[in-house]
Amino acid sequence: MDPSGIFPTSYRTDRRVVRTRWQVAALALFVVLMLAAPYLVSGRIIAVLNLMMISAVIAVGLQICTGYAGQINLGQAAFMGVGAYTASILASKTGMTFLLTIPLAGFAAAVFGFFFGLTAARIKGFYLALTTIAAQFLFHFAVLNLPSTWMGGSNGITVPPAELFGLRIVGETAQFYMNFAVAAIMIAGAFGIVRSRFGRAFVAVRDDDVAAGIMGINVAATKANAFLIGAFYAGVGGALWAYLIRFVGVDQFTLFHSIFFVAMIIVGGMGSIVGALVGVFVIRIIQETIATVGPNIADSVSFLGGDIVFAGMNVILGGVIALFMILEPKGLMHRWNILKSSYRIWPFPY
Amino acid sequence: MVYFINDIITGALIGLLYSLVAMGFVVIYRASKVFNFAQGELVIIGGFIVWYTTMQVGLSLWLSIPLSLVLAGLVGYLIERIFLTKLIGESVFSMVMVTVGLLILLRGLVLLLFGPAVRPFPIIFPLKPLFLGDMLIPMNLLIGGIITIVAAIGLSWFFNRTRSGLRMTAVAEDHVVASSMGISVKGSIAFAWVLGAILSTIGAMIFLSGKSLTFLASDIGFAALPVALFAGLESIGGLILAGVIIGIVQSLTTNYLDPLIGGSLGSVVPYIIMLAILLIRPTGLFGWRTIERV
Repeated sequence: MDPSGIFPTSYRTDRRVVRTRWQVAALALFVVLMLAAPYLVSGRIIAVLNLMMISAVIAVGLQICTGYAGQINLGQAAFMGVGAYTASILASKTGMTFLLTIPLAGFAAAVFGFFFGLTAARIKGFYLALTTIAAQFLFHFAVLNLPSTWMGGSNGITVPPAELFGLRIVGETAQFYMNFAVAAIMIAGAFGIVRSRFGRAFVAVRDDDVAAGIMGINVAATKANAFLIGAFYAGVGGALWAYLIRFVGVDQFTLFHSIFFVAMIIVGGMGSIVGALVGVFVIRIIQETIATVGPNIADSVSFLGGDIVFAGMNVILGGVIALFMILEPKGLMHRWNILKSSYRIWPFPY
Repeated sequence: MVYFINDIITGALIGLLYSLVAMGFVVIYRASKVFNFAQGELVIIGGFIVWYTTMQVGLSLWLSIPLSLVLAGLVGYLIERIFLTKLIGESVFSMVMVTVGLLILLRGLVLLLFGPAVRPFPIIFPLKPLFLGDMLIPMNLLIGGIITIVAAIGLSWFFNRTRSGLRMTAVAEDHVVASSMGISVKGSIAFAWVLGAILSTIGAMIFLSGKSLTFLASDIGFAALPVALFAGLESIGGLILAGVIIGIVQSLTTNYLDPLIGGSLGSVVPYIIMLAILLIRPTGLFGWRTIERV
């Protein structure tokens, strides 16, 4: 709800994403801080921020597909992988600029996602989750078993650095700006999508697909669209990932990574773009902490070796998913919204 | 020709093993309307319990097998008490996500408790294969197949004919309606998980007998998943047929098609069958058809 004194006087103001002066100021401050970040914080934090921005693009896509349209998707990492492979093949074989490979990676992933979205027309609920798991397995199979000159097989592909006007985008700082630009465009686009006609159709289908169909929404097309958009975001994120790591291999896109993305939107809150960003932030922080603390623990329990990070990550994320589903199924954003509305109407209870 | 028949028989027996693991999915679904993605992790937990009681504690097989089954049932009960009782009446999405969370939680726990090391699994069934003329049939799979068929007939009778089985079927239809009819939803779900964990442990014994045990063995859960969907999630008897079909197709693909294309199509072929069946007949071969109302 809006704070007192803010009234939309036209449809245009009612549809605004940034509604109050304070929100404009906060957004501007955030953008300025992000742009200045490479000069303010250490390289380690920039590296984490790079990962966060890429995850944010992918998680926002998953939020549109799962949080808004209600289509369970456990194949987001496979869609990401399709994008990453498309970008790296195009960049390494044809030398195409990243200005083209990133959107093309998105489209390739979108086509792959659309194919699995079509199955959503006939099936729903956990059956759908199963077909997206099948997407995950088929992706692995395709990469590992197609001739290795096509997709590198189990060796992976090395990606040439992105170039713009003859300048190579290498190093954390240059990539930081590239990722920030792409992530900003994609997230702004997501805000547009979810308040458009399509976004409202997504919400209607999520809440009750039978009723939505009766009200004249093309349910099958809407579900397929949700997968298409979600996979497009994953593909773009995958392309960014390829340029960041400069190497793609099939092990980077497993079912576990898909589950990590799902964990992000569950923790942040389903059905909220900002929630996806919050979730990315929280989960990446947890991951980073385990990666830092893990090796120290590994010294004391030596028999685990390097697997402790993976194992610890699984235990904590699995626990976090289950706990959030049991205790706070609407995620952190829901808590924040309760808090926000209560301070806006303070001192009145409602 | 003999090899061809042998491949078919071995494929069918592996298919029956998939059926047994898939039976874990179906039993849990039939009594609680929860689809358990963590079935493969239940299999390795069962495997580790058997390994621990025989190889570490050193009990004889006659003592350790019943003890393992009891312990596995206890683990199933604990999982249900901690995670699932609180979700009665919640949406399908919550249930799916909790079991997905369980999947990675249990995998992480197994890694933390037992580590990634490869361990020898006790020899439960005779290693010597059965020779039928020129054919060679693995003993563990043969005995496992018989156990699977017996279990399928027994459980199918239990869920379709007995009073308590039909009560659980009502729970699978709708939690709220079932509990308003005086059926204990909690009890039903608890029973389902205990039974599911026990079936998984039996599956682990057949699958791993005389082999080596690592946490990667949980992939059998994902291998069995297409069988459960092919049969339809509500049908226990149908699992036998679905398992045999998928096992034979997979075995023939691995032995005859893979050498031609030089890949491992055999490992994905169950998934291709699953996708096809989901598109043509979303309820599987013998699943229930439900009519939705607004």
